Amino acid sequence: MKISITRIVTAAVLATGLATATSAQEYPFRDITTAVVWGAGGGTDSINRMIMAEMEKHLPVSINVINQTGGVAGSNGMVYVQNQPDDGYTLVGLSESNVTAAVQGGWDQRFDFWYPFIVGGSPDLISVPAESPYTTLQELVDAAKAAPGTIPAAASGAGSIHHLNLLAIQNGADAEFLFVPYGGSAPGQEAAIAGEVALVVTSLAEQAALIEGGLLRPLAMLTEDSAEIGGMTVPSAFDIYDGLDAYLPLKQAIGFAVHDSASDEVKSALGEAFEMAIASDVVAEWAAANNYDVGGQYGEEAQAIFATLEANFAYTLQELGATTVDPMSLGIEKP
Amino acid sequence: MDFVLTQLSGFGGAFYALVADPLTYAYLITSVFLGITFGALPGLTATLAVTILTGFFGNKIPLDYSLIALLGAYVGAIYGGSYPSILLNIPGTAASAATAMDGYPLAKEGRGGEALGLTTTASFIGTLIGTIALLVFVWVLLLLSKNIASPEKALLALFGILLSGTLMSEDLVVKGWIAGLIGLAMAMVGLDPLLSEPRYTFGWSYMLSGFQVVPVLMGAFAVPQIIEGMRHMEIGKMAQVKGRILPNFKSVKRYLPTITRSGVIGTGVGALPGVGEDVAGWVSYGVGKTVSKEGDQFGKGSLEGLLSSETANNACIGGALIPLLVLGIPGSPPAAALMGAFKINNIIPGPTIDPEIILRVVAIMLLASFTMFIMGLFTARVFMKILRIPQVVFLPIVMVLTTIGSFSVGGGINDLYLMLGVGFVAYFMNLLKFPIAPLVIGVILGGLFDETFRRSMLISGGDIFVFASRPVASVLLLLNIALIMSQIPFIKRAFGRLRGKAI
Repeated sequence: MKISITRIVTAAVLATGLATATSAQEYPFRDITTAVVWGAGGGTDSINRMIMAEMEKHLPVSINVINQTGGVAGSNGMVYVQNQPDDGYTLVGLSESNVTAAVQGGWDQRFDFWYPFIVGGSPDLISVPAESPYTTLQELVDAAKAAPGTIPAAASGAGSIHHLNLLAIQNGADAEFLFVPYGGSAPGQEAAIAGEVALVVTSLAEQAALIEGGLLRPLAMLTEDSAEIGGMTVPSAFDIYDGLDAYLPLKQAIGFAVHDSASDEVKSALGEAFEMAIASDVVAEWAAANNYDVGGQYGEEAQAIFATLEANFAYTLQELGATTVDPMSLGIEKP
Repeated sequence: MDFVLTQLSGFGGAFYALVADPLTYAYLITSVFLGITFGALPGLTATLAVTILTGFFGNKIPLDYSLIALLGAYVGAIYGGSYPSILLNIPGTAASAATAMDGYPLAKEGRGGEALGLTTTASFIGTLIGTIALLVFVWVLLLLSKNIASPEKALLALFGILLSGTLMSEDLVVKGWIAGLIGLAMAMVGLDPLLSEPRYTFGWSYMLSGFQVVPVLMGAFAVPQIIEGMRHMEIGKMAQVKGRILPNFKSVKRYLPTITRSGVIGTGVGALPGVGEDVAGWVSYGVGKTVSKEGDQFGKGSLEGLLSSETANNACIGGALIPLLVLGIPGSPPAAALMGAFKINNIIPGPTIDPEIILRVVAIMLLASFTMFIMGLFTARVFMKILRIPQVVFLPIVMVLTTIGSFSVGGGINDLYLMLGVGFVAYFMNLLKFPIAPLVIGVILGGLFDETFRRSMLISGGDIFVFASRPVASVLLLLNIALIMSQIPFIKRAFGRLRGKAI
C-alpha cells in the first residue's frame, strides 16, 4: 500500500515535472541531499560535510548533508537512498564498512549498485601500550609465535576493516593473536592503554592523539609507506615481512556515491565537481591535519576498489560465521 | 601544580569562548526557561525535558550547542520542580518531593515568597557545588580510570543496574531488579557485540541495530506520564504569594553548614550510577532531619528542611555527570538521556573523551546555574502563571513533541512503534509499582555489561576468577554481592540463625 502511494506520487511528480520543466534543463538545477549512513561527528560524516562544502563551490546548487543511521552496516541509509529516484539529487555518504551490508542481510544489492567517489582514508597501523615490553613488530610476532592465540589484540568488531588488517598481519607474518573485538576504535584503544590487550590495530587518524600524547607506541604501518608522527618514523610492516603484500594493504575508503543507474550527465557533472574539490587546498590541508590519505578515485576505478573490499570482507565474514547470506548467492567472487 | 594551572586556564578558555558567543545566550535562555517550565508542570519531569530536547537537538545542531540546550534544561527542570511543591503541595518532579514537605507549610503561612527566594538561592548554590565537584573529581577519576578495564566495567554496570533497582523501588526491592533485568534483556537484542551475530531479531533487519535509546527513553518516561496525567487531573489550590521573591542572604548565611552538607550529599548520591535527584533530595532531607538541631521542625515548615532537599537535588546534577563523562555510566536518569545525545554524536564518554568537552560541560553548567538564578528571581511570576495551564492543554502538546523527538533520531516509523510499545508496558509496570528508571538504566548499561563481561571471559580464557583477582574488581564484586545478599530473605534468615548458633 505504502509503495503504491509512493509510486503514484512519484509518477505524478514526474509527470508534472516533465510537463513544466523543459528537458533542456541541466543537472543540477535543484539542491542535492547527501544522506550519510554513519552518525554525525564520525569520520564518514565529517569527510562528507567537508567534501560537499567544497563541491558546492563548483556546482550551481547547494548540498545538504543529513544522517540516516542504523540497520546492519549502515543498511538503513543505503536502503533509504536506494528508494529515492536515481536522478542524482540524493547521494549516499558511505565508507568501506558498508560493503558487508549485503552478506549480513541488511539489503539485497551488490555494492556495484553504487557509482562511488572515494575521498580518502587513513592508513591502519599496529600499536602497543606505552609500557609494553615489545618495541618492534618482530618482538611482538616472535612472542605470538611462542604462545599462539594467547596475546590479546584489540580491533573494532568482527569483520571491520581493522579486524581484516589484523587477520592480514597474522597470515603474512604467520603468527596468531587472540582477537578481542571492541565496539569501535576508541574503546579498543582505551583497552590497550588500560593494559587489557597487548596490541591494537586501528587507523592513524584515530591513534594520532594517543601516540602524540605518549599513551600508545606505534610499531608498524600496515601500508607500503612508513609514516611520520609525533617526531617518530613508523616503519612499514612490508619492509619487515616479505609476504605481506599478498594480504595488504586493506585501506579505508571513505566517500559518497550516486546510483549506478544514474544518467551519464549526472555522473559527469558530479565527477567534474569532485575532481575540482579533491584538487583544492582545503582538502589537502584537511587530510594533512587529520592523517588521511587523499583518494580521488571515482566511477569504475572506485567500483573496482570497492569490489575488492567487498569480496575480502564477505569471505572473511563467512569464515568467521558472521554472514547470514552466502556471498556466492550474491555473485561475489572469492578473492 | 602545572596540571591544575593548565586545567584552570583550559576552563577559562572554554568559559570565555562560551561567554563571547552570542548564540550561547539564545540557547541558554530558551532551554533554561523550557527546563523550569517542564519542571514546574506536574507530570513533566527533568528526564522528559532532557529526553525531548535530545530527540530534537541531538543530531540537528552541533554538539557544542545541543549540550547548552540539554544541560540548561536539566538544571532548569530540577529547580522548576520546587514551584508546585511549594505552591500546590504537588511535586513538579520526583526530585522536589522532599521540598514539598516543608515548602507547602511555609507557603500556607504566607511565607511562599521567602520559600521561593530561598529555594532559588539553594538550587543555585547546589548546582555550583555539584559543578565544582565535577571539575575536580572528573580529573581524579580520569587518572584512575586508566586502570579500569573490562572486568571493572562489567561489575560497575551491574552495580548501577542493581543499585538503581534497589533505590528506585517504591515497595519491594526485587521489583526494581526485575525492571532492571527486563532492561538488560532488551539490551541483548541486535547484533552481538563480540561475535557479530544477530540475537533475538526474528529475521527482522530493524531489530539488528537493537533497541535505540531515545525511543525507549521516550516510551518509558513520557508515555506513562502522559497517560497518568490525563487520567488524574489534579487541580490543586495554589497558595497565595505575597511580597517579593528575593534571596534572603541572612538565612543563607545562617544555614550555610546545612547548604554545604546537602550539596556534598547531593553530589555524592548523583555520582552513584543510575540514582537520581529524587533519591538525593530524600537522603539529604533524612540526614538533615537527624543531624539538625531543629530536626523536630522538619515537615512543619522548616527553612532548613527546605534547603536540605533543594540544595541536594541540584547538586546531584554535577555529581551525575562525573561517572557519565569518565566511564560512560550515567549517574541519573536525565544523565542517561544526555548519554543518548553523546551517542548520537558519536562521542564515547570514557577515559579518551576529548578534555575540551568536559571543560565545556563545566562552563555550561556554571552559566546555566547563573541563568537559572536570575530567571528564578525575576521571572518567578511567569512560572506561577504556567502552573495555571490545565493539563488537558499541555499534555497532548507534550505527546506530539515526544513523537516528533522519537522519530527525528533517524530510525524511521519503527521507532515510533517501539516507543508506544515500551510506553504501554511501562504504564502497566507503573500501575503495578514497578519502577521504570532501572529498566532504562538496564537498557543503557545492559549492553555495556554484556560486552565487558563476555570480553573479560574471552581474555581470561573463561576463568571466572578474573573478577576477583583484580583489586578494584574484587571490591566491586563484594559490593554487588552485598547488595544482593542484603535483600534475600532466605540468606537474611540463614545469617540470623548462624548468629544465633554462634551465641
